[in-house]
Amino acid sequence: MITSNSRPNALQGTLGWLLLVVAAAVLVASLGYAFSQLAAEGHASFNTSSRLPWGQPIATYLYFALASSGLGLVASLPLVFGFKQYYPIAKRCIFLAFIVLISGMTVLAMELGHVFRMLWAIPTGLQTQSAMFWMGVFYALDLLFLLWKFSKLQGGEWDSKTSKQLGIASFIGVLLASGNLALIFGMMSMRPFWFDALMPIYFYFTGVTSGVAALVFFVYLAHGFRRDAMPSALQSLLTGALPKLFAALIGGTLLFIAVRAITGLYSNNPEVNLVWTDYLFASPLYIAALLLGLLLPFALLLSSSIRNRVDIQVLTACLVFLGLFAERFYFVVGGQVVPLFKGTWAPDLIEYAPSTTEWALTLSGVSLCFVLYLLGEKLLNLGDMPRQEPDQRQTEQPAVAT
Amino acid sequence: MAKWGMVIDLDKCTGCQACTTACSMENNTLPGESWQDVLYYVEGENPSGQMKWLPRPCMQCENPSCVHVCPTRATYKDEDAGGIVFVDWNRCIGCKYCMIACPYGVRFYADEKPLVEPDIREAFPGENGQLWSPPYQNPEEDYRRGIGIQPAGVVSKCTFCYHKVRHAPEGIADLDEEDPDLKEYVPACVRTCAPKARYFGDLDNPESRVNQLIGDKHGVRLKDHTGNKPQVYYLGAGAGVPAFTPADRETDA
Repeated sequence: MITSNSRPNALQGTLGWLLLVVAAAVLVASLGYAFSQLAAEGHASFNTSSRLPWGQPIATYLYFALASSGLGLVASLPLVFGFKQYYPIAKRCIFLAFIVLISGMTVLAMELGHVFRMLWAIPTGLQTQSAMFWMGVFYALDLLFLLWKFSKLQGGEWDSKTSKQLGIASFIGVLLASGNLALIFGMMSMRPFWFDALMPIYFYFTGVTSGVAALVFFVYLAHGFRRDAMPSALQSLLTGALPKLFAALIGGTLLFIAVRAITGLYSNNPEVNLVWTDYLFASPLYIAALLLGLLLPFALLLSSSIRNRVDIQVLTACLVFLGLFAERFYFVVGGQVVPLFKGTWAPDLIEYAPSTTEWALTLSGVSLCFVLYLLGEKLLNLGDMPRQEPDQRQTEQPAVAT
Repeated sequence: MAKWGMVIDLDKCTGCQACTTACSMENNTLPGESWQDVLYYVEGENPSGQMKWLPRPCMQCENPSCVHVCPTRATYKDEDAGGIVFVDWNRCIGCKYCMIACPYGVRFYADEKPLVEPDIREAFPGENGQLWSPPYQNPEEDYRRGIGIQPAGVVSKCTFCYHKVRHAPEGIADLDEEDPDLKEYVPACVRTCAPKARYFGDLDNPESRVNQLIGDKHGVRLKDHTGNKPQVYYLGAGAGVPAFTPADRETDA
């Protein structure tokens, strides 16, 4: 199928350059600060410890990796399952999935003790019993398939046999990568807060939710937060299926959190129960993230009268973006706050708040994502989609702009 | 090859921490990064409240979860070295997954904020990749087994003092610190234990003292429900890990 449908978007002009300069400046500053701190103090510049070894950089990586998987899964709706109304976001989804994963991996690289050693030690070790080994394999494949698929779309190959096969391979890669990432936590029976056979399903739900949040935000950003500047097919999607899907995904995420909370609160096991009573529900920030980051967006999107408004959609995307970041943070830290066999050396729950270096790493991940995204919008025509057949054009519903 | 095991008699242990000190001197660990530690627990309340203590080396598990999760095989169980679990500092990437997976909390990253202040690393800054370089250093160094002064970016742990144990005569049943011919091969924590609460020997040898003690005095392994099957056994009253209770609620326990 021949591709069409390119029109310059808001980021291809001066606004794009301006944002690019700002994002690049933030990236250089935050990454430079993190590098200098790590060079000077090593990982003592983190607030993690042998008692709580995984902190905000891991939560950030997890957030990015799952948002990437979520974007990959959304892209599979048109590219694998034939939901054609999602074509207008397919290419942008694949691109975002790629750069979000790159950003997450960059943060992870700065968290590891020896990142370059990883490049030979994991392939030569072949420790197939380790979920982390498979994380390396599946996310490398995921990255490869995303790039390959994107190159096909960039070349205008939307429906060729190879392109479809790549779409299926990418979909399977995404499922394996994020499902396996869930098992890194879910298989740890010595950390009962995480130990959960359904963890992959929870990660799929939250991953797609964060992916859709990122997608909605970036789509609006690309069009200067004006829906009337969008192609009509994209307008139809944003006033039709997408907000409903977004609402359903947030609802599913809330359901999962509720079920985990109820199970945890009911359990007598202090290693689960105390995490909910004394850490999560004792933290105003966690409660705020739940109420404002998930419940409020869900309520707003449930209402058919307001869910199609541009301001509401952008607001809910931002709130969910932040809410799920908090959810990831509290998930990662929550699994470690109960001291594990430390006696009176650790008489209370382990306290952890990220250091400035750890915040700088999170910020560098976000800013790298913005830089790559803005470059993509400038250079790669991310709004491209297959040309619609004449009969579809005639039956197309007029888009509602607000 | 022997299967090295340790037996700790809690009825004899006084909780003096001499083992912890000997370990840190022997292995040049940073203050607080105690490969061997004595943990104290308060359990119950008056009039039946108890103070318990548990000496805690690495359990050198038969089925070690840390080994299963390591993505690079940096951490491995060496059956040719008595079943001791080592960290290969040349392969470790510092992902810390083993620290998440170890139910006994016996692994240390050390490239962290000082656990004891002032930071001794400021007095003896690290040289040649070491996290710190004290004036006296154990000359034994074997990065493939995580022996020596810990470099940055890797995980460390108790090695059952393999640099000593490996010189023991082949086929020996027990390494008894009271035997002048064997005392140099005994792990530092065992050798220094004043009340002789620790025993070290071959769990595969039916004649070994450690096997007799485990059989006769009902040796148990801590957190046995994890399935990790430690090669460290405990004798006597109090050989169990109380459930975690925040300090401010201990009276409600």
